[in-house]
Amino acid sequence: MPRVNKGVLVECDPSIKAILLKIDQDAGHAYIIEDLDESTLVVKEQKLADLKHQLDAVLRKTSMQEREEESSGDDDGDF
Amino acid sequence: MAPSTIRGFDEYLQSLPPITFQRLYQQPATALAIFRRMLPSLAKIFVTTLLYNDRPIPLAELQSWVRTESYREREDAFSKLRRLHITQERAGNVSIDPIFKKNFRLALTGGGDHHSFGVPVDASDDRKKVSISTLDNYAANQFDCILHYMVEPSGQRQPNPGVKILLITSGLMKQSERGHQPKITQAGFSFILQEGNAQIWALLIQYLEMCESLQMEKTEVLHFLLMLGSLELGQAYSTATLTQTQIKVLADLKDYGVVYQRKSMPDRFYPTRLATTLTSDVTGLRSTAASFTQALVAAGPVAPPSEAAGESGFIIIETNYRVYAYTNNPLSIAILDLFCKLGSRFPNLVTAKLTRASIQRAIANGITADQIIDYLKVHAHPVMRKNVLILPPTVVDQIRLWQIEGERMKTTPGFLFKDFASEWDFQDTARYAEELGILAWKDSKRRLMFATRTEQIVDYLKRRGEQQAVGRKV
Repeated sequence: MPRVNKGVLVECDPSIKAILLKIDQDAGHAYIIEDLDESTLVVKEQKLADLKHQLDAVLRKTSMQEREEESSGDDDGDF
Repeated sequence: MAPSTIRGFDEYLQSLPPITFQRLYQQPATALAIFRRMLPSLAKIFVTTLLYNDRPIPLAELQSWVRTESYREREDAFSKLRRLHITQERAGNVSIDPIFKKNFRLALTGGGDHHSFGVPVDASDDRKKVSISTLDNYAANQFDCILHYMVEPSGQRQPNPGVKILLITSGLMKQSERGHQPKITQAGFSFILQEGNAQIWALLIQYLEMCESLQMEKTEVLHFLLMLGSLELGQAYSTATLTQTQIKVLADLKDYGVVYQRKSMPDRFYPTRLATTLTSDVTGLRSTAASFTQALVAAGPVAPPSEAAGESGFIIIETNYRVYAYTNNPLSIAILDLFCKLGSRFPNLVTAKLTRASIQRAIANGITADQIIDYLKVHAHPVMRKNVLILPPTVVDQIRLWQIEGERMKTTPGFLFKDFASEWDFQDTARYAEELGILAWKDSKRRLMFATRTEQIVDYLKRRGEQQAVGRKV
């Protein structure tokens, strides 16, 4: 019988995957169960939300300026 | 969203050990409910065929009834029957579990002294008759109170302590600090936007899991819940035949609005519409929502009139993402606040706007775009319903686009299979998973595969192992 591991299959761009691997490494491999190929990984289910959050934080840091411009455009709702 | 309700209960049932099933099938009502609610129609045909056959039937014979191209449905039906322990297989012959057979026959033909369909009480001599609309009002009020508490824990209407504990143990709410009010969680957010019966089942499954820690006999609770589904609305039932555990369950279900009981008449209970539609199929569930709406509209004195208007549809959305909600019901406003940017509030109207930021905040809270769209559709104002497409397509598309924008990874929950013994072992298993349509990813070189479900594969591997063992002996 093969071994079975519960997890979440994550498909993303290679660039995003690189960030995920970095987050995992910094956290002492707390997130990733198996690195499958250049755009797929298996992640621990209960850690997924946390990982998403971390990824968002990294991305926000890198594209802060762009986001700020957009969100100010959203807020002009006049009632 | 009804299929998800079935799935939730389905998964729960399949996690039970075989011995529990033996005990479950001792009650005719339970056997009938599982047959009605849990089996795909092909599996139902197999069960009815086998039911009055005293001798086992060769598996190959049953399999030959199904066209070869419907291989997937056939395997699905058989695997369901095996997993629910309804059929037994010995040496290539199939038969029905004897306990299931006996009690399912009893359920179909009647007879026996099992009281598993409840014992009706003649309530015609009651001074105050309990009408169906009273029951509907009661159920709606109780359930509304729970939802309201989740959105606004410090509100005036507080549910009973039992309900609060359930909400916390089920992870729908979280106790942040000692002495503080609990806060709603991500799971709770998506719970609130679900359809009514999905919510009831979600709560009941959590309740079942909590029973174990309360030392309550799980099978008795399950018997009781599944029995409720076969009771008749508006009829009083006796509590005399219930066990100690079931009386306790009855008291808890009263808090959820599933059953109604008068303080002065502790010897009888009334199932509400939430109970009687528990084990019926999808169409039955829709009518629950519809009749609830009617009950709320009719309920002048019990529910405030605003709530009645609110339930029948109160949201107008313009193509410029402006939202006008004709309501003053705090629950509806609180729900809108989950995914809209609220503007101004008037005595009977709230203005709001769907923005990129508000939708993405909702998505960060665990709400999906489809849930938002469904909610808006269900609660659309009658004026909006005149259109062929209830919601403006631009708005629907934009909500979906906003969701995708925030998603940088595509996730599929499931199971990773590794350490296959041989190349053949891997190829064979992967082929089986692919045929079932549950293979999400594979790599033949590293002998790794990812499937969305395991039960069928594990089942298949077990049978394949047995066949090989038999082959070696011969």
